[in-house]
Amino acid sequence: MSTTTEGIALRADHLGMKYGGRRGGWALRECAFALPAGRICALVGPNGAGKSTLLALAAGLMRPTEGTLTGPGRDDLAYVAQSKPLHPRLTVADTLRMGRELNPGRWDEAGALRVVEGGGFSSDTLVHHLSGGQRTRVALALALGKRAELLLLDEPMADLDPLARHQLMGLLMSDAAERGTTVVMSSHILTELEGACDHLMLLAGGRVRLDGAVDDLLAAHTLLRGPVADLAPHTVIDSRTTGRQLTALVRREGPVEGAWETTEPSLEELLLAHLRNPEGAAA
Amino acid sequence: MVEYRIDRRGGVATYLQIVQQTKQALRMGLLEPGDRLPTAREVVEATAINPNTVLKAYRELEREGLVEARRGLGTFVRATLGTAPADSPLRGELDAWARRARAEGLDREDVAALFTAVLTQHFEGDDEA
Amino acid sequence: MSALSLKGPAWVTVRQYRRTLWLALALALFALAVVAGLRIYTAQEPLPMRDGTWIPGADNHGYPKLRAIMEYVSVVTMVLPGVVAAFVAGPMVAREYESGTYQLSLTQSVSPADWLRSKVTVATGFALLAMLAVMGLFWFGRLGVREGWDYHWGQAGTYTATGVTALAQVLAAVAVGALVGQLVRRTLPAMAAAGLVMGVVTLAFNAYRWSILPLERATGSLGADGPFTPSGDHLYMDSGVLTSSGTPFDQAICWNQINAIPGIDGDPERWEKAQEQCYAEHGVTTQYLDYHPASHFWPTQLIETGIVLALAALAAFAAFRVLRARHP
Repeated sequence: MSTTTEGIALRADHLGMKYGGRRGGWALRECAFALPAGRICALVGPNGAGKSTLLALAAGLMRPTEGTLTGPGRDDLAYVAQSKPLHPRLTVADTLRMGRELNPGRWDEAGALRVVEGGGFSSDTLVHHLSGGQRTRVALALALGKRAELLLLDEPMADLDPLARHQLMGLLMSDAAERGTTVVMSSHILTELEGACDHLMLLAGGRVRLDGAVDDLLAAHTLLRGPVADLAPHTVIDSRTTGRQLTALVRREGPVEGAWETTEPSLEELLLAHLRNPEGAAA
Repeated sequence: MVEYRIDRRGGVATYLQIVQQTKQALRMGLLEPGDRLPTAREVVEATAINPNTVLKAYRELEREGLVEARRGLGTFVRATLGTAPADSPLRGELDAWARRARAEGLDREDVAALFTAVLTQHFEGDDEA
Repeated sequence: MSALSLKGPAWVTVRQYRRTLWLALALALFALAVVAGLRIYTAQEPLPMRDGTWIPGADNHGYPKLRAIMEYVSVVTMVLPGVVAAFVAGPMVAREYESGTYQLSLTQSVSPADWLRSKVTVATGFALLAMLAVMGLFWFGRLGVREGWDYHWGQAGTYTATGVTALAQVLAAVAVGALVGQLVRRTLPAMAAAGLVMGVVTLAFNAYRWSILPLERATGSLGADGPFTPSGDHLYMDSGVLTSSGTPFDQAICWNQINAIPGIDGDPERWEKAQEQCYAEHGVTTQYLDYHPASHFWPTQLIETGIVLALAALAAFAAFRVLRARHP
């Protein structure tokens, strides 16, 4: 977990993670990807897809059962777990001081304070007394204050009201704009991340189903509507037939020829198509 | 300085919205040559969109010759889309036309529909941006 | 307890548990105040000496209270390692896993080893101070109660409160806590398990520590001149009789034989005669007494300390190994 390949922030090879000894199930299996540095990556997928496991592995909290995951070391990454764990008996000010004490030489007090501001609580409040959204704010302040190369955020926006979500996403994006931080954010609600992310990784059943720059993924797929016919050589991700009309989402192999009305799918349409057909061809 | 408003539901790509809103500001005279565009950081902090989207929009504006990036300083307006500054004769005519439409009992939606129809008729096939 | 001079993970650890630290300090001061108060109180009533023993006056209500409290203080020295182990295992280590805060602690710039080391160091420092405070309190209170049979150096409480093994026990307690906390990962079970381990260690040493060094044996002829005692301060372990060849003889054999004689119960003179006769029949010539002299106190302390320190080192090594195996 120490060497970062040039230009790649996080790389997985044959990555597999199994819980609970011999009889446990695989949370991740045969995952391979290379996330370019500087990307804002949305890690999406249904509950239990392996998103949290992947983030915890990337954070170095566990050893993978098989394969490797290569990324920045502990010093250069920041991780916010799904439950936003914080020490309940410390005040907000103490929690930020903790960030400074545990990250000597790289702590950005002003950056952390900007995240905490606007949370509607004073810095001498005990963490124990904060609401879910306020805890998220403090957890994100710790992560951003660390000035990491790679930010790993597990469901970061789940507890936030729309205003706070907008503000904190804005701060995350401004950090990324300023320092080129690579961000991996998980969510099972895509709209939370749409607009902010330029890279998408879809996990389902512990496997990577879709991975790439959002623009490339959208450009590679086409939404077709027209007469029922063989769609070869294109890869059909999802199709529906109503009477004589066929609606299909395909990954193109060359130009689409035929009497079809074609449009570029939206990100949501693309994701839904892949999620509806979990056994379809992987990207 | 312009402030961008991003509509996530409109179906228009985010970078295009920035390009269009910049051009709109140029047309309206809100931005003039020499003005600095907000930095990518300022834009993303206010809008919570991806920084690369802003950079892509700025590159597009640069490609069209409307702005230029000066290393370390920011992105500056180079040209204007001054076909209709606030005090041009064209605007005056449109102003008079709108006043007459109102006097004849047309409401806002009627006027907008009429305007869009004429716009489509004359500019059909032009580049969207 | 000022957090001003602390840095890094140690600051975090002290800050997290500062309420416990303040509570312990308050408790120590309170105990000191009670003992000091009772000492002043009893000092106003001089103790008369009768038959070589200090006997408190009937009006001196402080003296029995002070003795009772000293009893508690010596018990605290035996219980404290278990409490320390439970605290380190539960609130300090297992709770981080149970509540998920380890995900926060282990993804900062400090290594997992630094994280555990800061906990171990802070806990060790504080627990050593606490043990020294309790031992100091025992020493201070003991000056006021004079020697009595219940403060004999060989007694478990006094032995622990006046030696050095208690300090080694504290170190072992912290190490065992760090290991058990990681293995159990749930606060209450971890506290119970670690407390149990240290409890077993304490009980085992209380039961077997006087088997470490060989006993001294005092022997004497089967005389009629009263109970046989070795000279000097000693810890009685066992006594009996030996045959002329030097092998121990089971006195119960004679006692059963004598008890079978009808009507012997009420006649001590006859009993003694019968016993002499029985001993002579079996060739018993000598009586003996096994004991530890006072000079065995420190060697026993040091050997016990060595064993406990080895246990502490083993547990600490295992704790860091487990940590490294789990968190790269």
